[in-house]
Amino acid sequence: MSVAAIHPGAVDHHDHIHPEPTTFIGKYIFSLDAKVIGIQYMITGLLFFIISGLLAEVVRIQLLRPEGGFVSNDTYNGVYSLHASGMIWMTIIPLMTGGFGNFVMPLMIGARDVAFPWLNLLSFWIFPPAGVILFSSFLVGAPDAGWTEYPPISVQGPPGTSLWCIAIFLIGISSTMTGLNFMVTIMKMRAPGMTFTRMPLFVWAQLATALLNMVATVALSAALGALFIERTFGVPFYDPGRGGSPLLWQHMFWFYSHPAVYIMILPAFGFVSEIFPTFARKPIFGYKMIAFSSIAIALLGFMVWAHHMFTSGMAPWLQLPFMILTMIIAVPTGIKIFSWLATLWGGMIEFHPAMLFALGFIVVFTFGGITGIFLSAVPVDLHLHGTYFIPAHIHYVLFGGSIFGIFAAVYYWWPKITGRLMNAQLGVWHFWLTFVSFNVTFLPMHWLGILGMPRRVAQYRPEFQFWNDVASIGSFVLAASTLLLLYNMANSLIRGKKSPPNPWNARTLEWQISSPPPYYNFKTIPAVLKNPYDFGEPLPYIGLDPSDKEDHHHPPTPPAATHAPGHA
Amino acid sequence: MAVSAINSSHEAVHARYESVDSLYRETRDIRLLGFVLFLVSDVVLFSMFIFAYLYLRNSVPNWPPITKAGQLPRFDVAFACINSCVLFGSGATMHAAMESWKHLNKAAFNLWMIATIVLGIGFLSGQAYEYQHVPVTWTGSTMGASFFTLTGMHGFHVFVGVIYLITLYVQANRGVYTGSKYFGLTAGTLYWHFVDVIWVALFYLFYLM
Repeated sequence: MSVAAIHPGAVDHHDHIHPEPTTFIGKYIFSLDAKVIGIQYMITGLLFFIISGLLAEVVRIQLLRPEGGFVSNDTYNGVYSLHASGMIWMTIIPLMTGGFGNFVMPLMIGARDVAFPWLNLLSFWIFPPAGVILFSSFLVGAPDAGWTEYPPISVQGPPGTSLWCIAIFLIGISSTMTGLNFMVTIMKMRAPGMTFTRMPLFVWAQLATALLNMVATVALSAALGALFIERTFGVPFYDPGRGGSPLLWQHMFWFYSHPAVYIMILPAFGFVSEIFPTFARKPIFGYKMIAFSSIAIALLGFMVWAHHMFTSGMAPWLQLPFMILTMIIAVPTGIKIFSWLATLWGGMIEFHPAMLFALGFIVVFTFGGITGIFLSAVPVDLHLHGTYFIPAHIHYVLFGGSIFGIFAAVYYWWPKITGRLMNAQLGVWHFWLTFVSFNVTFLPMHWLGILGMPRRVAQYRPEFQFWNDVASIGSFVLAASTLLLLYNMANSLIRGKKSPPNPWNARTLEWQISSPPPYYNFKTIPAVLKNPYDFGEPLPYIGLDPSDKEDHHHPPTPPAATHAPGHA
Repeated sequence: MAVSAINSSHEAVHARYESVDSLYRETRDIRLLGFVLFLVSDVVLFSMFIFAYLYLRNSVPNWPPITKAGQLPRFDVAFACINSCVLFGSGATMHAAMESWKHLNKAAFNLWMIATIVLGIGFLSGQAYEYQHVPVTWTGSTMGASFFTLTGMHGFHVFVGVIYLITLYVQANRGVYTGSKYFGLTAGTLYWHFVDVIWVALFYLFYLM
């Protein structure tokens, strides 16, 4: 296709955009703009991150002494249940898809907004009430069966369990709608010339995540709906005393919740896939393999759920296929890890905080991935299931993977989002404090698990005290290190230096316009000639308006009506 | 509801651009994909409850569970057949309505739409009658739980569909759609056929299996 045939700036759906709002409420509260909605997700997610993190500190204070005693046993059950629920559903998933997905993805594909802005608005506004409902369950008796809420305990659990159902159901609906929205946006609204294999890898990751969000999250909604009507109206689904089956919940729940761990890690893969080439100044290695392995992980993720149930009394002949399928997931994941290492190899690496967190991500996520392979082996799992090895593993992949990824993304996209630079030196301190205290906190949990300390206990045997104390002290430092990030963000907002449009010399589209981007994103929609990772070559975009990089914006002027409508 | 908003924004765009048709096609494609994906996620919702039903059915030695009176619950298959025919018939009339619209035959469209709405209400009435006569209750057994939850969800979809079709009928007669621009009708037809297809599965699972 010749360049001229692409018609940059031709009439197309990109011009089908809602007018810029003028009132405060229209601009900042009920905005239709994906960028504002993304920031709303980030602020709300940060709030729930702090609450859920404080709950984790309550757990660690309780476990300082074998006899516990900081909070009552019932409260403790609620604390760890809501810590996990809050971190997974109210923090990581909304931050990764709702937050960075909304802000960055439309910019990266050269769109003016997502496909359904009103649906996006609705998705966001379900989120804060869901979080409030979740944490308010403390007032009526918090859910006490852990974040997995296995029946029959959850069927008989305190009233807060019903609130938990409602909250997670709502956030599930929100995720499903976001997934649908992103799917359509990525399929239908890419800039002219941006074929699938020219999309940034972040967009590939969001596409795979959207698929999971759209399909798997509905399974969770069904499971929660059944639990809710069983608790409220006494409809028998899970209660074995009335013909129901607790295993049914486990199947339905894990059919969602295993894909959910990929919902929580695939976007992080996307973050670091952007950060590595930018700070190593090298083309990404194995672009297509990284892209397709995201889809492979998403599809395989649907076929492995029962590896969470090896000890639940499921049919033994099912164990082997689930074990093998689980181990196969390590292949696409390994492809990504080695491709990133090859990207770094021989690069001119700049140790910016975003890069440090991305590098830290590789280290701890790989470690967590390897303990995941341990757990997928049936004999090992039979020994380790229900011990502290499980929290150790999940924190290496969810904190070391997802949260490190989010931290990296914060340092990377902060100038684009706020228009101001962060203090890089403080960021380096934040990284090293986080990295060390993270390992001090979660590494000993592996040993505790192998020694046989069960998870979710408010008291434990005295011989486990030493490593519990080490983990608790580590977690206090970890919490303190997060304050550095909060200070850095506040400091940047108040006193931070103004950011140029492209402080990292990155090549994806969002860096080619001013920071923060204007309401309509691009004056003219550019045409895309290549994928964005060929460092050292000219940018592969034509038709970008040079004034897009300036601070003072004027709305796009409509192109001449003589242009042929439609786009490539 | 979205249709009128889209129409008014079309007018705004029309003032700027010569060809509004290509813009319509673009946004129609976007909305069509969105609607199909919504139906896909709805299929997952039904599939999960169908899975639950099959799982519960296969996890006990005796199915169906015996009721308190010592009776095996038996559904009225003959009545369900008639009621199913009512729903499937409404699928046929919906198709006829859509074809009439495409052939610019508005009188036939109105007739077939009214027939579809009446058949849909007829199916719902049949369901209401059946709910009073089935030998199981929602909370009494796992069979009743699955039966009432699944058919209830389906019935709710039919109910929403009837409201949807009435809205489309009113909008079509107010001139919201034209002979070349009728995405709302396409979506309504898709939705109605989707509800039909779900019923095929439920009819087999509860009455024939």
